[in-house]
Amino acid sequence: MKVSLHKAPVSLYRGTEIMVFSSITFLYFFLPVVLVLYFITPNKYRNYILLPASLFFYFCGEPKYTLLLIISIIINYFHGILIEKHRGTKIAEYVLVSSIVFNLLLLGIFKYLNFLISNISHMFNVDIEFAKIALPIGISFYTFQAMSYVIDVYRGEVKAQKKLLNLALYISLFPQLIAGPIVRYKTIDSELNDRSYSFDDFAYGVKRFVVGLAKKVLLANSLGELWKFAMYTEQPSVLFYWLGAIGFTLQIYFDFSAYSDMAIGLGRIFGFHFLENFNYPYISKSITEFWRRWHISLGTWFRDYLYIPLGGNKTTKSKWLRNIFIVWFCTGFWHGADWNFILWGIGFGVILAAEKLFLLNFLEKIPSLFSHVYTLVIIIFSFVVFNSSNITDAAQYMKGMLGLLYIPVFSKEALYYLDSYKVLIILAIICSTPIPLLIAKKTSKDNKPLSAILEPIIYVVLLIVITGFLIDSSFNPFLYFRF
Amino acid sequence: MKNKIITFTFLIFLLSMLVLNIIVPDKNLSESERRKLEEFPLLTSETLFNREFFNKFEKYELDHMIFRDKFRSVKAITEFSVFNKHDNNHIFIKNGYVFKMEYPYNQNYVYDMSKKMNEIYDTYLNGMNVYYSIIPDKNYFIKDNDKHLFINYDDMISILNDEVKDMEYINIFDCLSLDDYYKTDIHWKQENLGKVISDIGEKMHFSNDFNDNVFEKKVFSPFYGSYYGQAALPVKPDVLTYLTNDSIENAIVDNYEYTGDDRSSQKVYAIDRFGSIDSYNVFLSGATPFIEIENPKNNSGKELIIFRDSYASSLAPLLLSEYSKITLIDLRYVSFKMLDELVDFENQDVLFLFNTMVVNNSNILK
Repeated sequence: MKVSLHKAPVSLYRGTEIMVFSSITFLYFFLPVVLVLYFITPNKYRNYILLPASLFFYFCGEPKYTLLLIISIIINYFHGILIEKHRGTKIAEYVLVSSIVFNLLLLGIFKYLNFLISNISHMFNVDIEFAKIALPIGISFYTFQAMSYVIDVYRGEVKAQKKLLNLALYISLFPQLIAGPIVRYKTIDSELNDRSYSFDDFAYGVKRFVVGLAKKVLLANSLGELWKFAMYTEQPSVLFYWLGAIGFTLQIYFDFSAYSDMAIGLGRIFGFHFLENFNYPYISKSITEFWRRWHISLGTWFRDYLYIPLGGNKTTKSKWLRNIFIVWFCTGFWHGADWNFILWGIGFGVILAAEKLFLLNFLEKIPSLFSHVYTLVIIIFSFVVFNSSNITDAAQYMKGMLGLLYIPVFSKEALYYLDSYKVLIILAIICSTPIPLLIAKKTSKDNKPLSAILEPIIYVVLLIVITGFLIDSSFNPFLYFRF
Repeated sequence: MKNKIITFTFLIFLLSMLVLNIIVPDKNLSESERRKLEEFPLLTSETLFNREFFNKFEKYELDHMIFRDKFRSVKAITEFSVFNKHDNNHIFIKNGYVFKMEYPYNQNYVYDMSKKMNEIYDTYLNGMNVYYSIIPDKNYFIKDNDKHLFINYDDMISILNDEVKDMEYINIFDCLSLDDYYKTDIHWKQENLGKVISDIGEKMHFSNDFNDNVFEKKVFSPFYGSYYGQAALPVKPDVLTYLTNDSIENAIVDNYEYTGDDRSSQKVYAIDRFGSIDSYNVFLSGATPFIEIENPKNNSGKELIIFRDSYASSLAPLLLSEYSKITLIDLRYVSFKMLDELVDFENQDVLFLFNTMVVNNSNILK
């Protein structure tokens, strides 16, 4: 039976070719122009530069959905104002609910409708024709950011922002608009009106930004190739499956944490102080610890706006388990509108529950090496699920890793890529620990005069090398742009 | 103080790049990459809202980035020297030779190649003297002692020998060595093809032995081959030598790629192609679906048809003395089903001559 919901001549599903930080357009056109305009403008007018720049940044990638972003900002603005005006009354409560419904509806339509319809089609064996809706870049981030603002206004933790321009700037600020971190309004509330600048802050911002760029372009992009090689090889082997999985595990960390580095760096340049979003998650000794170090802004968002309001762990055991299930279902689903993401999230929920109940005690008693290995193995397998097209492919891939397919342990091709990428893999592993930062800090402290000359040179050299990679490679967007 | 230096260095670097990218005029072609560069995209409300403008703008900027080739070299040096990678975009350098990894081995395309050759034989060549030969790519000569990935040459030849019917195989693998190829290009050197011609001639019953003394050698230098730009590393360029004589100079060339006066004025060696985006196009003016070369000095009426790729462009002139006419057909650009409109297949000698990379990717043949 065919049910036509909407006929459209063209599927609007498209790739992710947008202006990103790791692009020539951004680095050598957008950023220098914005920096000049920003810093020649008197301080009190700088928001009038930053907001249009941020909207233009978004427009370059999502011209049709820029209006959606603006509408979202305006609606959330008025919700905040109304809540503050009717604080303590039922009206404030209704407005809060209205805001949450609006934001979730936005997300639901633009991110999850395709998933819903295709599952209904499949479940009821109905061929539903519909125009696939393209996912607006960053919608998961800015709706969550907007929701957190309105909820914080309702809770009295912040005052509603009276100036629409300032709220618009908070939500659309280009450093964090499309891939986070999810910045809480209270983090930058005072900085929206009054920011201070210094060479220390600017230089810190430059360093974070360039290091982030290097992580993304030099490490993440290259490591991501290993997964592709493993997926498309005609000589599958157990080694190749592991190489691909480890490659992706490293890629996703460097890709996502790089973006946070760049966001924090750019924010600092413009006078904003964002919180850290990653804290060396791969040194964790448990999954509990991992989620305190990975995508911190998302974890704390779900903790503060879902887990705790549901009762958290201060309730009966059955309700606590229910809360864990809901939060981790949502966490997985937030990452992507597909069953493998849901499975990924729920899988972590189960493991976290087990750790809370008994496993953490055990992990604390065994040598650290084993708890590290336990954590890393779970992380690697979880990212196989995360990165697969569907659950069947994920299961097949994991079977390959465990040697359960009829394939050799090694293959010539796998050994070639292991040998070719070994320096990169080792470098990436070291860079996923605090070791490089500790060495850099110590070196800088012990050799101040030399460091004053060397450090600027190092960052320029890094920029040159990064530019070389950008020019040589084909376009390669960030992984998290499906959100 | 350090932070001031970092701040100003960063700003100066970014602004310098911005200004230089704006003021330095655009180029049309990339000589190192042998392609046309992106033009500034069309700005209309449609291209703005369907993201076409911004997508193309990024490509345009990537193409016209100041010091583009130098930046690519920086990347190549970093990959090899810092990350110790074995290849950069499948390109690697060994003993001054630039190689491109041909991988993976597509066995199914080798079978398809055999089927296509058999189909052509069954359609046009029944009862004729038909031969085939496969030209090894450069990688063949280093495969035994090298860490890179290679196709299975033995399996390729074995499949062809088993599957291709009614054609005699001419093995020229043993005639060649790495020295017979350009360092910076995929092709073989024309001046080193003596043994190849002798072995082909032996099977195809040429009357004359190849003797390069009957040719005048002419030289073009420096020759930047197809891999030179891809390598993005400082590599010594080649010297392109071509061999000519009266027969070649006076040959009548009919190149179907051209029309009108251009078509009738074509020569075996297109000297004006030296220094162009691909100097190897000096041989028969480069890629063309169909070309006929007549030798007025040979009245035997003997003709040769070569189903070929670009390697035959440098081989065919050396065979001219044996034939009144040589017809070269490039199935990458013309479907074999159209050939009856172009050729009367009667009693010509026929040679299928393809290099291993084309056989490994035979889906490019029409």
